[in-house]
Amino acid sequence: MTEVNVILLGAIGLLGVGLYGLLITRNLIKLVIVLQILVKAVILALVLAGRAGGNPGLGSSTAATVIVADTIVAVVGLALAVQVRKRLGTLDVSHITSLKG
Amino acid sequence: MAETLILLVIALPWLGALCVWLTGDRRPRLQHALAVVFSAAAGAVSLALFTVTGSATAVHLPFGPAFGTLTFVPDGLGVTLAAIAAVVGAVAVLFSVDYMHGDRQLGRYYFMVLLFIGAMIGLVLSGNLFFTFLFWEITALCSYGLISFYNDDPRAVRGGIKALIITQVGGLGLLAGALIGYVHLGTYQINELLAQADRIPAGALAAMAFGFLIAAAAKSAQFPFHTWLPDAMEAPTPVSALIHAATMVNAGVYLLARFHPAFADVPGWSTAVMLTGLVSALIAALMALTAMDLKRALAYSTVSQLGYMVYAIGAGAVFASQFHLLSHAVFKALLFLGAGAVLHAAGTRDMRQMGGLGTQMPFVRAVFVIGALALAGVPILNGFWSKELVLEAGLAHTPSWAYALMLAGAGLTAFYTFRMTWLVFFGKRRAGGHAHDAGPAMKVSLGLLSAGTFVSWLAAGALNRLFAGSLPLHHIEQAALAEILIEIVSAPATGLALLVIALGFGLFWWYGRARALAEGPAWYRRLSEASFGLEPVNAAVVRGVRAAAEALRVTQTGALNWNVLGILSALLALLLILGWSA
Repeated sequence: MTEVNVILLGAIGLLGVGLYGLLITRNLIKLVIVLQILVKAVILALVLAGRAGGNPGLGSSTAATVIVADTIVAVVGLALAVQVRKRLGTLDVSHITSLKG
Repeated sequence: MAETLILLVIALPWLGALCVWLTGDRRPRLQHALAVVFSAAAGAVSLALFTVTGSATAVHLPFGPAFGTLTFVPDGLGVTLAAIAAVVGAVAVLFSVDYMHGDRQLGRYYFMVLLFIGAMIGLVLSGNLFFTFLFWEITALCSYGLISFYNDDPRAVRGGIKALIITQVGGLGLLAGALIGYVHLGTYQINELLAQADRIPAGALAAMAFGFLIAAAAKSAQFPFHTWLPDAMEAPTPVSALIHAATMVNAGVYLLARFHPAFADVPGWSTAVMLTGLVSALIAALMALTAMDLKRALAYSTVSQLGYMVYAIGAGAVFASQFHLLSHAVFKALLFLGAGAVLHAAGTRDMRQMGGLGTQMPFVRAVFVIGALALAGVPILNGFWSKELVLEAGLAHTPSWAYALMLAGAGLTAFYTFRMTWLVFFGKRRAGGHAHDAGPAMKVSLGLLSAGTFVSWLAAGALNRLFAGSLPLHHIEQAALAEILIEIVSAPATGLALLVIALGFGLFWWYGRARALAEGPAWYRRLSEASFGLEPVNAAVVRGVRAAAEALRVTQTGALNWNVLGILSALLALLLILGWSA
């Protein structure tokens, strides 16, 4: 098993954990954490792609950009969670259905 | 130069839409002013476009490999229709200053009107079929929003949804046709599609041709989709003028004219186009005979006149159809805005409660009569020249029974036009109250349009030269203005048509005038209200779509996990399909 395959497996594993988490999680804060795990898989894949494609600089810099964006997502997500809790009194997403069609 | 003008003429209305919207509804005077300024500027730029016409592509905006390059081609067909949309649109906006005075939601109104005008201009100038489709859908969206503008009136909302659903049926035809073309030729560029149409296999080309015919019929309210247009009359009247004269319904006729060279040789296509126009022209004229709602009667006459244009394309006379489109745009905008002034003053659309309004609003009566004479095809107004040109082409290139029926349609047109004018402006006043004459902005726009009704036919020679010069694939015969006019006047078809028009008028004067209020026999009224049996069919389509939407509602749970599951399963399905085909 080569190095690339190991990292690839790791990325797919993280992706699987993240998607599974998205499917079953109902707590808003846990959802933010799950999203973080998903994005970590993406970052790993980006770095790997840069290395495998012979352009590690590009992969790393894209990964750094994603980290910045990802941090913003986490911050906004947590702030939303706080507001949802304050206004609706719950963090359970299955109870937040005021936009239901 | 050409590039700047084309981008400007599309960007100006859209910029105006944003500005009016951002101004906010608390400053209605500024909103009126901004809308008029931006639409008038677009109208001026659209006229300037005539100086840069040519068949070459003027604007290239790359949009990636999937959609190709967004191109704009300032050829005769596109520029003429863009000018109609921008200029008639600007007049309708000017009219709105008086008509919509005091409305609280001007932002929404002007936003959609200006977006509508810009999208229509983009539609006719676009050289990329995919973007034509996008603009096509934007016009459908705007028409929906404007027909349902009075959204506390359930009839307005129903009319808007009906228009949206029926025109979407047509949109699917256009999309399917565009995709077929792309699959076989690998391009969305309209000029390439037209030039290489013979490389598409016959079956696929036929599917494309009939897909476009469905699209055009739905958009231009032709048989069997003609029922949405009368129901769209719930819209504010300037919007009706916009939909009927400047934008929307012209798009279907434009599409047929644009693709005529590619489809003319498809077996059965020309005949199908001709029959669509013929049937629409006749049954709409028959329905207009008994309509009691002023705007509905006008809507039927639009369907009927569009039928004449479609019929002309079926006869191979692309220029005649576009010339009639120009005339129709001017006089129908005049009639609708005149009707708007009447409704604004009388407070009803029911012609039974009008009558004798002429003495109280002499100006509106004068311009309405001018528009009505043009619609009936009385010389020397613009409707006469273009209708004669259409009928002459019909005589030369379609079976004689088809020509005879269209001729009879011209007689019916004269009959219902005079009936309508009589019921509104002449005779005795049938309801109390005082009707005031039009306001200043209304008078300016009506005056401009009635002047246009007198002179727009003088452009025939220049337009013909433009079409012949910039549309090499359409093979349009070039003729000077004098030649066209002499041809029309000296043709035997003209004398016959004038006779039939006079007959229609005579019938009304001696027979119909006394019975104009009697609405005709009950069975006939029922039949025409049901659009000769097609209303239930169209209504069933609308009901079906709405029922499907209601049924699909359960999938919109609003639960996050459910949505994630949906996305994941779609991803898996896509991967499986890719793996399968690889």
